[in-house]
Amino acid sequence: MKKLSFFAFALLAGIAQAGTIEMKVHGLVCGFCAQGIEKTLRRNPATADVVVSLEKKLVAVATRDGQDISDAELTKALIDSGYEVKGITRTQRSLDEIRAGLEQKKK
Amino acid sequence: MNLVRFALAGCVLAGAGTLAQAKPIAFSHGTTIMAEYGAGTMTEAQVFYAPKYFLSLGGGHLQLESDVDHRRREITYVRANYLAKRWNLEDAQANVFVWGGAGQAYVSELHQHQLAGNAGAQVDYETRRIYASLKTELHRADAFSHRIDTLQLGIAPYEHDTNTLATWFVLQGRQVSGGIHEGTEWALLLRLFRRGAWIEAGATGDGKLQAMAMVNF
Repeated sequence: MKKLSFFAFALLAGIAQAGTIEMKVHGLVCGFCAQGIEKTLRRNPATADVVVSLEKKLVAVATRDGQDISDAELTKALIDSGYEVKGITRTQRSLDEIRAGLEQKKK
Repeated sequence: MNLVRFALAGCVLAGAGTLAQAKPIAFSHGTTIMAEYGAGTMTEAQVFYAPKYFLSLGGGHLQLESDVDHRRREITYVRANYLAKRWNLEDAQANVFVWGGAGQAYVSELHQHQLAGNAGAQVDYETRRIYASLKTELHRADAFSHRIDTLQLGIAPYEHDTNTLATWFVLQGRQVSGGIHEGTEWALLLRLFRRGAWIEAGATGDGKLQAMAMVNF
């Protein structure tokens, strides 16, 4: 029973940690900007998916279950791509929800 | 009026500050392949790899054909590009690039190959709706010295996003010094790009084709 509780806890903790990180980024003006940022972030093994919105000045990263990327790592990745991070927030919105929201705004 | 002074005056009038065009460095760990056909007087191909977002290394081949006489330059070079300064603004980006390199040039009137050097700089400014760049580059060998100044001013009819097609209307002015071309060559271009693929085409004032294609990956 104790073992079962431990596994349930570990599973829930993993799900809780698999979240979305949203970053406000300045200087996003073209598709090449997005391409470079995506390429850099996808090299991180904890990255599951990336969305970049030029309109919202937003870079959103979904992390893999049970994994996280620290603010310092994210800031460094963006600096190494040539951009500046103006804010980092962790949300429970999925990237699909973010994508849907961006599509809705366009319509 | 010389092209550089015209560009600066244009920027002041537009209140835009500075100037952009195809950048010599796209992004970190990115490869850029570019080919340009300039109205039958200038043809260039380049390949660059960027180990860092501020540095790219590669080479190219430039062919200049005189519209004054039959002189021709065929310059093959290696080059390093450096992003000297970037301003990441809330809705805009501005950059200063510099570069330099060396290679070999074929000088048609002498039927000779000579050692050639090159150096250049580009200042650009862009938002999702307006775009301006001024590029100046010098190609020099014992037999010639040509400075190529290129101004581009662009406007987008709508704001593109990451996965949508970007459309730009671009006015380009270009001068080549050293007596190989006369006057400023103006061209109107339609530029389309999406993700890493870029294509532009248009016509010069005397109806000649001006085109460029680029991929970044």
